[in-house]
Amino acid sequence: MNRRHFLGQGAALLGLSTGLVGVSRAKSLKSAHIVVVGAGYGGATAAKYLKLLSDNTAQVTIIEPNANFISCPLSNLVVGGVEKIDALTTPYTGLEKNHGIKMVKDSVAAIDAQKKTIQLASGQSMKYDKLVLSPGIGMMMDKIEGLAEANKAGITLQAWKAGPETVALHKQIAEMKDGGVFAMTIPLAPYRCPPGPYERACQVANYLKKNKPKSKVLILDANPDVTSKGALFKKVWAEEYKGIIEYRGGLVATAVDAKNRSIKFEVDDDVKADVLNILPPMSAGDLVVKAGLANANGRWANVHYLNFESTAAKDIHIIGDSIQIAPGMPKSGHMANQHAKVLAAAIVCELSDLPVNPQPMLTNTCYSFVNDRDVVHVASVHQYVAAEKTFKTVPGSGGLSPEPSSKEGLYAWGWAKNIWADSLA
Amino acid sequence: MKPHSLLRTIGLASVLAMPLTSLAQTPNAQAEKIYRLSLAATCANCHGTMGISVPRVDIPKIHSLTAEMIYDQMMGFKSGKRSGTIMPQLAKGYTDEQIKIIAEVLGREK
Repeated sequence: MNRRHFLGQGAALLGLSTGLVGVSRAKSLKSAHIVVVGAGYGGATAAKYLKLLSDNTAQVTIIEPNANFISCPLSNLVVGGVEKIDALTTPYTGLEKNHGIKMVKDSVAAIDAQKKTIQLASGQSMKYDKLVLSPGIGMMMDKIEGLAEANKAGITLQAWKAGPETVALHKQIAEMKDGGVFAMTIPLAPYRCPPGPYERACQVANYLKKNKPKSKVLILDANPDVTSKGALFKKVWAEEYKGIIEYRGGLVATAVDAKNRSIKFEVDDDVKADVLNILPPMSAGDLVVKAGLANANGRWANVHYLNFESTAAKDIHIIGDSIQIAPGMPKSGHMANQHAKVLAAAIVCELSDLPVNPQPMLTNTCYSFVNDRDVVHVASVHQYVAAEKTFKTVPGSGGLSPEPSSKEGLYAWGWAKNIWADSLA
Repeated sequence: MKPHSLLRTIGLASVLAMPLTSLAQTPNAQAEKIYRLSLAATCANCHGTMGISVPRVDIPKIHSLTAEMIYDQMMGFKSGKRSGTIMPQLAKGYTDEQIKIIAEVLGREK
């Protein structure tokens, strides 16, 4: 393959998939304004790599309402009382100071894809040439009757976006009587962080085993079986948390009764509990849904995987948990960071009239703590398959830990510190 | 094989076998640079941006390794000669050519 062939292939692929290459642009890389909405694992990384891959020439603004990044990965350690939320918190100052990214502390109320403007919650409007949306997930509260009210009354909370709710959930568990029941419902996949609920069960059980040993953890899973690291988790539950954790698969929660602290299911009998951690079905972030960009069943956003451009709107790109996933692609912080790098490279190339990489790669690494020290991982490598216009896992790659280990516990913290720096510093 | 000759071999091999990395100067040198940096960036989540880890973490540091050391270790993970936790599983997801590029981008000079 020679240079012409490479360019030809790149152009042909892009021509087929997005029609962007070869179309004359109004803006060059230096004059284009790229607005990134949401500075989680996806958005922060996108902004930073737009700067890095453009030799600092791209103009990048981030719209983010919070002053600090709080990591969802590792936040189950806070739920279980092993860590404080401060250990997972990083201020956003690095993006501005180290990379010249403009940080606007606000949120987006509306998007006008025709005029290429966004309306901020504060009332201000802002023009963009490229818009990158990384709003994370939305909670479909109305799928579980009474949940919104129970949340409002302070009876239930999700703690599926790390922050005050994470701390509040630990407090509920710490205040529970010995002999009490912690019940968690898990929605049908896909949802954010496939192994997250099972890791949470371990962390809550680890706390209860030491502090309230007569208590129980009930996992009420809408999925027929554990969706990630199943054999590893089940072994830990049977050995380390015998008599504490009980797993029930195939239970679809339909309603919650805040007054009686009970959960109703499609078929099975009601379950009463002292602490109710109800995770409803999840969707793309509210902004993506509201803007009409969730064009996969009104729930997730279809994107072209070479540049993560929405299939519904030109020059709007969507990364992270909000997208309709490719086969075997988890909704994880690590994956959002990897989406962001493919997206950043593609946008820099498009705005520079360069061919977009026709063969991007993604990896995923996910560590779960089964107690305060030992960890199991799942890993995968994903390659873009041009013939199918999607990412697929590379055959023979990826896999699981053979067993929990403290060595991987150290790696999990190393992963966290390096990905936080890779995304934010 | 001496480091220099291996590095030259890797370099030469990429020119011969890896058209994506053998583009000449001009705009396409820029596309090539972005391609190579993006590929190496798939490692950054665990090993740090451009392979430079934050201090005092327990993940093996790669920024002190030469390109040939990274290449050899990755190929060892891929073939099964070298043991590890996650790296044998990840290394199997990359082609030999991709591993060469990653090693060249992240390896320290000589």
